[in-house]
Amino acid sequence: MNDLALRGKRILIVEDNALVAKFFRMAIERAGGGECILSEDVPTILHHAASGELDLVLLDVSLTNSEWEGRAINGVELCRMVKEKSPRRLPVLLATAHAMSGDRERFLETSGADGYLEKPVYDSAILVEKVRSLIDLV
Amino acid sequence: MSAPEPRPLPQESFIEEMKRYLHLLPDDVAILKELGPRMEKYLPEMAERFYAQIPHHPGASQVFTGGQAQVERLKSTLRLWARGLFNGVYDEHYAGDRYQIGFRHVRISLDQKYVISAMGVVRAFLMEKLFDEFPTREKRLAFSQALGKILDLDLNLMCDSYFRATMAHLHTLNQELEQAGAQLAEANAFKDEFLAQVSHDLRTPLNSILSFTKMVLDGLCTDPEEEKEVLRDVFSSGQLLLRLVNDLLDISAIEAGKLARDLEELDPRAVLDSTLPLVAVQAASKNLRLIDDTLEQSLLAVRSDEIRFRQVLLNLLSNAVKFTAQGTVRIRALENQPEGYLRIEIEDTGIGVPLDKRNAIFEKFVRHDPKTLSGVTGSGLGLAIAKRLVEMMNGSIGLETGPAGKGSIAWFTLPLAAPLSDEEALSA
Repeated sequence: MNDLALRGKRILIVEDNALVAKFFRMAIERAGGGECILSEDVPTILHHAASGELDLVLLDVSLTNSEWEGRAINGVELCRMVKEKSPRRLPVLLATAHAMSGDRERFLETSGADGYLEKPVYDSAILVEKVRSLIDLV
Repeated sequence: MSAPEPRPLPQESFIEEMKRYLHLLPDDVAILKELGPRMEKYLPEMAERFYAQIPHHPGASQVFTGGQAQVERLKSTLRLWARGLFNGVYDEHYAGDRYQIGFRHVRISLDQKYVISAMGVVRAFLMEKLFDEFPTREKRLAFSQALGKILDLDLNLMCDSYFRATMAHLHTLNQELEQAGAQLAEANAFKDEFLAQVSHDLRTPLNSILSFTKMVLDGLCTDPEEEKEVLRDVFSSGQLLLRLVNDLLDISAIEAGKLARDLEELDPRAVLDSTLPLVAVQAASKNLRLIDDTLEQSLLAVRSDEIRFRQVLLNLLSNAVKFTAQGTVRIRALENQPEGYLRIEIEDTGIGVPLDKRNAIFEKFVRHDPKTLSGVTGSGLGLAIAKRLVEMMNGSIGLETGPAGKGSIAWFTLPLAAPLSDEEALSA
């Protein structure tokens, strides 16, 4: 990944751990050249989705700081809402901290996400590759 | 353990069945009634013989702990029992009386084989005396038969009562076992949850360390300034990891009962004075006022462990500073609240803790609601450790709402060192 593979792409990062979010953002910006928006606020996230200006949402499964209509919400639920709001096909990459072998298919299916990213991700190239492959599918 | 007393069941059918089985006839009943007054004089000796068995029985000494007075009472009970044999009415009420005896024996864990063998001694004794009483062969036969039948009836009732009481006892034990099993399963589930939480919490900072380090190594930072910034994140993640590991070691040492406590007479002033400066810098950097209301007080000594006292105080002070964005953190000391204790209060003007979380926050990994603030990180073990430490030092700890419903007051108590008695003071 020597060229800026994600140049001009707008990516929304929804991640409750500030340092992990920072890593995602830096990895995508530096290695891919994409433009990142960070948010954990559900109305803001839905607003971005509805604008039709996003190319991908990188969504954490566990969202300790996010709530919707007075209750906690997780990435699986939020994924469906984001997809519904978006005027065009919007790929969602679902990230989770726990290694859940076997749960991958179930998560993908219930959430409607396009891809699944198993954390931890140390290598920014892997992250960028995953993001790019999903955007290219659109 | 004490089993709930099983209700003696009216065993009418069983006593009637036994009477039929043993051929207890109206003639026998008449004979027994006649026999009663003639046997009365032998009853004291019968009781002596019965209780003479006790020293030979290893289990009995555990039950007969009341000394000679108890044995005398029991002897009179045994005489009452023997009089019952001759009362001529062998009905449900009679059976109920006999069942009471069996239930009582099971309740006090008296070994049944001992009683049954002692009953044999009683039987042999009564038969021997009966033979003395009736030298002629004809009468002797009829009287010994009647006495044998009623003694057999009693033995049957007693064995049946033993069986029923033992079943009831087993039922209770079984319930207790089920309960213990459920508690164990619950503890196990908690342990699984705890391990999952620990592994998640350990991995998170570790992952940040690895991913940011790799980023620097891959040359993805635009300039040295950014590289520095990323390394600062690596450093703070390392610090968090270290804090978490230390706290985990502390809590497992506490729970294994291995954390040494060294309770000694301490001047709280020394602990306060050496701990407050540790949070003063942090408070100043947030423009918080740190007020020490204890400065003018001379404080009574407490009985405590200096290191653990300081650890608890530092934890509560750091929390107060951490969760307060503006205003003051104030420390107070109240003597004899409650009587015999020193109460230390740390009041802040921070975000407070909702009522429904007051107790939970002293549990492992329950963090202050992260929604309400950003950038606050902790192991989630600090208050759990503080609570256990305070309890180890025979004090208590809690959290209350601050004045006017704002902020919070964290408090803990430590026992005051007992004042010297006059005698001790003189010899000192």
